[in-house]
Amino acid sequence: MGQHDRYDAIVAGAGHNGLTAACYLAKAGLKVLVVEKNDWIGGAAVSRSLHEGWTYSNCSYVCSLLRREIVRDLELPKYGLQVIPYEGGASFSRDGDYFAYMSDHDALRREISRHSAHDADAYDRFSQTVIRQCRFIRPFLLRNAPDPTSLKPRDIGELLFLIRQAHGLGKKELGETLRFWSMSIGDFLDEHFENDLIKAHIAGAGIIGTGLGVYSPGTAYVLLHHYMGDVDGAIGAWGFARGGMGAISNALGACFEEAGGTIVTGSGVDRFLVDNGKVTGVALDNGDEYHAPIVASNMDVKRTFLQHTGQQHLPGDFVKAVKRFKIRGSSGKLNIALDALPEFPAAPKGAPFLRGDLHCAESLNELERAYDDWKEGRWSQNPYFDMLIPSQIDPTMAPPGKHMMTVFVQYAPYDLEVGGVRAGTNWNGQTRGAFADCVFDKLEQACPDIRSKTVHAEIRTPWDIEQEVGLTEGNIFQGELTFDQLLFNRPVPGYAQYDTPIDGMYIVGSSAHPGGGVMAAPGANAAREILRNIGRSGNMTGYAA
Amino acid sequence: MTTPTYDAIVIGAGHNGLAAAATLARKGKSVCVIERNATAGGMARNTTLAGGIKAPEIAHLLYNLHPKVKKELGLGSPRAPLEVRELPAVSLSEDGYHAVIRSGRAELADGRPHPEAAAFDEMMRRLTLFAGLLGQLSTKSPPSLEGGLASLGTLTELAGLAKLGLDLKRMGKKDMREFLRVLLSNAYDLILDDLEDGPLAGALAADAVRGAFAGPRSPGTVFTLMYRLGQGGGAQLPMGGMGAVAAAFEAAARAAGAEIRTGASVARVLTENDRAAGVVLEDGTEISGKAVLSNTGPMAAMMLAGAEHYDVEAVRRMRNQRCKGTAAKVNLVLNAAPVFPGLSPELMAGRLLIAPSTSYVERAFNPTKYGEMPANPVIEAVIPSLTDPEVAGGGRHVLSAVVGSVPYGLEGGWDAAARERLAAATLATLEKYAPGISALVTERQVLSPACIEARTGAPGGHWHHAEIGVDQILTVRPANGMAHYRFGPEGYYLCGAGAHPGGDVTGLAGRNSALQLLKDGVL
Repeated sequence: MGQHDRYDAIVAGAGHNGLTAACYLAKAGLKVLVVEKNDWIGGAAVSRSLHEGWTYSNCSYVCSLLRREIVRDLELPKYGLQVIPYEGGASFSRDGDYFAYMSDHDALRREISRHSAHDADAYDRFSQTVIRQCRFIRPFLLRNAPDPTSLKPRDIGELLFLIRQAHGLGKKELGETLRFWSMSIGDFLDEHFENDLIKAHIAGAGIIGTGLGVYSPGTAYVLLHHYMGDVDGAIGAWGFARGGMGAISNALGACFEEAGGTIVTGSGVDRFLVDNGKVTGVALDNGDEYHAPIVASNMDVKRTFLQHTGQQHLPGDFVKAVKRFKIRGSSGKLNIALDALPEFPAAPKGAPFLRGDLHCAESLNELERAYDDWKEGRWSQNPYFDMLIPSQIDPTMAPPGKHMMTVFVQYAPYDLEVGGVRAGTNWNGQTRGAFADCVFDKLEQACPDIRSKTVHAEIRTPWDIEQEVGLTEGNIFQGELTFDQLLFNRPVPGYAQYDTPIDGMYIVGSSAHPGGGVMAAPGANAAREILRNIGRSGNMTGYAA
Repeated sequence: MTTPTYDAIVIGAGHNGLAAAATLARKGKSVCVIERNATAGGMARNTTLAGGIKAPEIAHLLYNLHPKVKKELGLGSPRAPLEVRELPAVSLSEDGYHAVIRSGRAELADGRPHPEAAAFDEMMRRLTLFAGLLGQLSTKSPPSLEGGLASLGTLTELAGLAKLGLDLKRMGKKDMREFLRVLLSNAYDLILDDLEDGPLAGALAADAVRGAFAGPRSPGTVFTLMYRLGQGGGAQLPMGGMGAVAAAFEAAARAAGAEIRTGASVARVLTENDRAAGVVLEDGTEISGKAVLSNTGPMAAMMLAGAEHYDVEAVRRMRNQRCKGTAAKVNLVLNAAPVFPGLSPELMAGRLLIAPSTSYVERAFNPTKYGEMPANPVIEAVIPSLTDPEVAGGGRHVLSAVVGSVPYGLEGGWDAAARERLAAATLATLEKYAPGISALVTERQVLSPACIEARTGAPGGHWHHAEIGVDQILTVRPANGMAHYRFGPEGYYLCGAGAHPGGDVTGLAGRNSALQLLKDGVL
């Protein structure tokens, strides 16, 4: 092994969190290597050209949660990142009507009133509560989750910070906060609204990516998880990364390389090298070995420790805790190349809300039934989807005059049930086709000509996402966002501050606090912890310093 | 102003109303309990079926009667006699491979050790440890946040929490971490992390969602499971039927000097200057008292006093309380003892559970969500006449079944035909485990959640008056800002299951509210 194989730190996996951690470490002066199994970087924040002329954001597809502190620190716009906000969205009903969401308050009020005068008043109360909860939670995203069992000054300090924030809410709001965090989105919406279509439109954000139904307690928090982001300071807004989600990873990659980092693609980690309880490097599938005293895994916690780490290096309790970590995949995707913009007969021609997120769910019960299918190992017979046509705003996604549509589908199981057997391998050409047909049938409710305008469709199931990206069971958050897996419980109680039982080894992916959603927060937080632990916190840049 | 007739008036003689009355009367207060029905006891009454057979009308077993209540009220003493028998739990399996839980330990119905006994033991050790810890909170008013975190009052209450925190620490890091991990988690995952899915796992899942509008996959069901395990998780059969429990509470109240008027319905609570002053009965009679306690559901309690005494937020919170009952009751009179293949006579007299797997329990709840009748419900049955021949006689038996996952808001409403469908689904399910049982039935009584509401006033027919969910416990039970039993006008208190700590025949809500009232210096 030559000297060139020695690094200060190695990051396993070039997802957006791995790259974010790598950027901060390289900018602090470390010699950093990123290794990636695929021939491209980005993990699940990726743009791929799978049909000539079209670009698919074939996993994550919209952007809001990416922390602006990180965007600023790493100067991502300088490396080509541009996030274009989209406005509005709509849910189409079977009877030919729709509910449109608009960001203009007066227009939205008129639209809600069209469905229910009561709900127009309720909406203001609803959005006040949600914004208040967002304000409460945002400061925690870029901080460590304190360990409540620890008496270390730093953990106590973080706990005090939490108490101070909670105190700042005031007596009434504190009680409401406790309640909100433990409620289901269905119950929360039922309290506010009477119109089914409006409720269904909002509820989607409470279940996207989860293994929960709209009436499962805890889904109000998931809604928050999808509302707490911003685009250019507009809280709750979502946008498209110009050129697809890969633009985020590519900007991070460029920033990293400019800071002197090295990326090696095309061969994944076979195993983490551990000697005497201390990590020493990685061995790749192609036989290459690289050495460093610090190794950060961007893979989810299950993949990292159950597939690529010798079990003899890990305490039994830790392995047990990793095994029981819940990472059930629940969503699939269709990426569709369109010959022309489909017609939406219900909507006024050229309505601006068609440039936003479109749905066809009509009631909370319909969404709950979709969840019941998933529990039994079936894809939802009447699925929920989050459909967007980004090429209307970002012309780089498709050839001139053509369009690209992304359809996120909830729910689709990882271990599909066929003939009484549940297994990921049950996803084959036939079952995938049947799944896609089911989604197309429902898409026709909004745009009846969708099939005739389709020139190519990529069908992605949780199984495919696992195979390609490496996310265990195709879970988009690298682990479910339930309370037993949030804050100091994420991913494993006692190892919730990016550290692991192996000295020098870290978790930097969204299996760690605060979880997934293309936030880049776990990567940045982990880099901060690494630098602190090696006494280089003086070299930190930006928010971390 | 004339002197009030009573120190305190209690509306409703459910066991909590009686516990509140007994607690106050024992402190020398003059108390009058007013009950709409002809007999006291609420859900803990007996009903008499044809031929003089005594059956538990609604509740049929004691799970969580709190030792403090038992001791303070003297339940089981000559003053208020109560005799109980501890029953093993039997989780039935269609293949005859029944699981038995006896004193918290798992075995098989044929006497062999259960292959998962060790894993089950360890899980029960943890859960009962955690349940005991949480149980500390059940005998006091819950901590309130009303003064904000910095106020002195809140700090004193937080001292109680600090004790809990200290006990948490004392468990050791490992158990403390596990506690904080599972506290808000779902029963399905917790159970299946350590057990194979089958009757043993199913029994725990059924206990986790008993009476609740939830399936075992719903987050928060580990908490309800721990609630169930508050007194160790056993079940006791009262000799003489559940009515004996009601009678014991009633005797305790009377022995302490409380007066109980049955067959009198309260129309509204009298207030003077936003202060409770007594009650007016349906027949117009006014009874004055310095304090009024209501054993009704929270919304009904609010309506009795008049919504004008509450702020808009409080009214909204009451209206949005989750209280959709899911437990129905079916009593069957049998002309002979049924046969459950694989069960000894001793086990047949036990607490019989039809919950052959956690998935079964989850599936049973699916239709409930949409107001549909479950085809394969979760059932908890007991045949009291096997333990206590007095209740039936003549070779006849009575099977009492609490049928779970039955929606209060059934699509199309609860009419006689719907109750008939419920009886049919119950019998068809029982038939799988006790072939031939249908042919033995000579009489049946079917109470839907709607019937239970009509008979007892429990909102939604809900076991706990309001769902035990993390969003409706402790500081936010029955609602944010109303957690200290004080309920609107000064001197008006909520003493039923809708208040902290919740339902089951524990007697705690009644006792705690009475103590809070005394502490507040209302009398």
